[in-house]
Amino acid sequence: MTTVLKTENLRRQFGDLVAVNDVSLELEEDEITSIIGPNGAGKTTFYNLLTGVLEPTSGEIWLQKDGELADITDAPPHEVAQSGLSRSYQISNVFERLTVRENVQVARIAHEGRTLDIRSRAANDEQLNADVDELLELTNLADMAEVTCDELSHGEKRNVEIALALAIEPTVFLLDEPTAGMNPTETKEIVSLIHELNEDIDATFVVTEHDMDVVTDISDRIVVLADGAVLADGDPQAVLSDERVTEAYLGSEAV
Amino acid sequence: MTNTIAFIGLSDVIIGLSLGSRLFLIAVGLSLIFGVLGVLNFAHGAFYMIGAYVALAVTNSLIGNFWLAVVIGATAVGVIGVLIEVSTIRPLYGRLEGDLDQLIVTFGFVLIIHEVIRFIWGSQPYSVDAPAALDFSVSVGGGTFTAYRLFVIGAAFVVMLGLWVFITKTYFGALVRGTSSDREMASILGVDVPRLYTGVFFFGSFLAGLGGALAAPLQSVSPALGDQVIIDAFIIVVIGGLGSLSGAFVGAMFVGMMQALGPQFMAAGHIAIPFLAMVLVLLFRPEGLFGGFGE
Amino acid sequence: MSTQDNSIGARIGTFGREAVQNGWTRERFTLLGLVGLVLIGLGPSFQVYLFTEFMIIALFALAFNLLYGYTGLLSFGHALFFAGGSYGLAIVIRDLQPTIADALGSGVAPLVTFVIGGLVGVLLVVLIAIPVGWLSVRLEEIYFALITLAFGMLGYSLIVQNPAGLTNGTDGVLVLLGFVELGGLEFRLGDRRVYYYLTLTIVLASTYALWRIVNSPFGTICKSIRESPDRAAALGVDVRYHRWMTFILSAVFVGVAGVLIAGLASVASPYHSHWTQSAIAVVATVIGGATFFAGPIVGAFIYLYVRWGISRYPALEAHWEFFFGVMLILVVLYFKQGAVGGLVMLHAWLLEVQTVYERDGAGAAASFVGDSITTKLRNARDVIVARLRSVWNRLRSIGQRGAT
Repeated sequence: MTTVLKTENLRRQFGDLVAVNDVSLELEEDEITSIIGPNGAGKTTFYNLLTGVLEPTSGEIWLQKDGELADITDAPPHEVAQSGLSRSYQISNVFERLTVRENVQVARIAHEGRTLDIRSRAANDEQLNADVDELLELTNLADMAEVTCDELSHGEKRNVEIALALAIEPTVFLLDEPTAGMNPTETKEIVSLIHELNEDIDATFVVTEHDMDVVTDISDRIVVLADGAVLADGDPQAVLSDERVTEAYLGSEAV
Repeated sequence: MTNTIAFIGLSDVIIGLSLGSRLFLIAVGLSLIFGVLGVLNFAHGAFYMIGAYVALAVTNSLIGNFWLAVVIGATAVGVIGVLIEVSTIRPLYGRLEGDLDQLIVTFGFVLIIHEVIRFIWGSQPYSVDAPAALDFSVSVGGGTFTAYRLFVIGAAFVVMLGLWVFITKTYFGALVRGTSSDREMASILGVDVPRLYTGVFFFGSFLAGLGGALAAPLQSVSPALGDQVIIDAFIIVVIGGLGSLSGAFVGAMFVGMMQALGPQFMAAGHIAIPFLAMVLVLLFRPEGLFGGFGE
Repeated sequence: MSTQDNSIGARIGTFGREAVQNGWTRERFTLLGLVGLVLIGLGPSFQVYLFTEFMIIALFALAFNLLYGYTGLLSFGHALFFAGGSYGLAIVIRDLQPTIADALGSGVAPLVTFVIGGLVGVLLVVLIAIPVGWLSVRLEEIYFALITLAFGMLGYSLIVQNPAGLTNGTDGVLVLLGFVELGGLEFRLGDRRVYYYLTLTIVLASTYALWRIVNSPFGTICKSIRESPDRAAALGVDVRYHRWMTFILSAVFVGVAGVLIAGLASVASPYHSHWTQSAIAVVATVIGGATFFAGPIVGAFIYLYVRWGISRYPALEAHWEFFFGVMLILVVLYFKQGAVGGLVMLHAWLLEVQTVYERDGAGAAASFVGDSITTKLRNARDVIVARLRSVWNRLRSIGQRGAT
């Protein structure tokens, strides 16, 4: 097993509030790790630290790049993405007034380092569009390539989210509540898509999820965050039967 | 070359204070509206101009009372502001790119108001007589000023003080402060946010009208007035901090002093200084030199 | 009168039908357009001048829209670059024309000077845009609008102050385009028709370049930044850098328009650097439709020709700005697609009419037209009534609360 993403004593404070409290994690290649925890446990802040949206108060983040771990602690979001860490958003964050095709084109153009290319035409670029078509096929969006995103259903937008995250060929995927607001059928589709992706490409997944059925279905490993710190970490069976975990959840839900 | 050694006399300072007072009266309403509503009202300079023209009309009419003209001018502009806010700005709250749309819509009113004024009063400049009670000269610090000019300086200080008391000591002021710092929270706590917005827009517009009417005797009243003052107002609220009352005051005095004293120091460049200051503040302290509402 | 209208209408209809049936391709329409543009240059002198001005303002607005409509940044300081191009040309012509004439002979000197002046103007704009853009893109939204306004007015105040005697203060710098003698050809560069064709060439080339830019991968990234900057960053786009590059590109084409306006107006004037000049680009773009490539072109057309049309009625003459104010507000509130959006809808509607006509004949088409116009008017009325009612309710509730 090789480590692809590592945090060391990662900490973030907002004034006196410690949102992420000295989290040290090592994520292994090809694994699907779920990060769960009650609301306010620090999951979103943790994601924002990993992706460079927020700067940590202290601690370090390391990401595998070209076979070795590189320090990305101070890298801004676009450099983190270029280094191979990709994310989807809990509340769909897609390019609303662009077509599905253009959405994925953006990601491919960024990945290929062609953002300053003013000489070719995006619409007629065969290589670009072949790559895009392949991604749309994979995410069940081929029929909707020419539809603008503001006309898509909630579930379809979630798929665009994943297509975007996928398009930059990441080594690590952060999926933030991939099934949020989905109906049972759509949820099943996403779960099978995650399984499929995990087999097809050598990527590591980090998923936050509320739906415990989804978590048990997809996870190789579960990390429980509570009050910003790691409460439990390990095999799904072991973690879910841990009393402290039940307590943390019941404690919060009983309110 | 003896002129290059500048001498700042008391009279220069008074001129600066006088210019600054007028600028404060323009800028404070703009800052208030931005602080609470997040709307940058491009038409604010045009509102100021309406205040001046209404004061002109009332003073020259049968009523002929300047003080009444000031009250009518300020109120009329407040009412116009409410009509504009309710009909055209309200639909844009919360819209994607709504901030820019509000700026463009209020710019539309700049064009409309400019033309309506020209339609009614024509393009020629007018002058408004200062009220007879204050129409005498006072000698201070080697300069001679009309009493009215000194009165406007006093008025600006009174408005500043009144606003400060209003914002920090009254219930309505507490609502305004609360809403400006957290809109959603205020709404959850039961503040009727839309109503408050309309109220603040009335108040901010009222202040623009008040400024225009009070300053009418100090300047020539012409359709170009609105375009001139809006840029000054932008400079001031940026330097002081968008939404900051004390910032608007200090910013206005800075620009006023700059206009009064600048030419003595550098004949070629004093016009550029305020814009340079605006750029620097936006880059290094975008919240303004005196950020924070009601401070 | 009405029969004549009908016959003209019928002729246009026949022409259009034939054109479509004969397989009129986009290329042939383009060709027709180009022939039209060439013919305009032969029209009445004033019309040639007006159309030249329209093309320059259209380019100004198109370049502005690269930043506004495509990248989501509203600049109120683009007049700085407009004036930058103007003054570059004007100063070169004033200070270097004699030297160039000595070196190359007076025959070609005006043309060569114009080309050098134009290049200097654009280069000057690039040199200004690099630092100004780098600083401005640190801010977003309203703050970006304010800092560009400040930079623009900073430029204006410097130009008015006449630094080192370069800009000649409020009077500006005269631009005199002289006689060219080139291989037996003899013409005055400043002649309205000559200048029309010169402008036409440069504006068409610039428009094509801008069209390629917005349709390139670069342009796709611009649009993604407009829609969601944080999402673009999460995909690896350096948002700030990309905005900077877009700022510079936009400024370059504004500079080209600035060079052209100086030649047309025969002066580089501080007026061209004032914020009200920047506002022209905003007005034209918003009215035309910022989300369409052609929006700023149509907006500039409306801006110049409505102004000209209004100026023919003495009672309204001086008050044309009023109508633009009203249009601006209506477009932003109710129809963000602008005039081009309206044309697109009209086109779709005409296609519907055609479908009905082909399927059910003229009678059905006529009643379809009647019905759909009635529906549209009713919808418009409903919108207006709803708006007025909500305003009224709002005001009444304020009144009631005030009373209690």
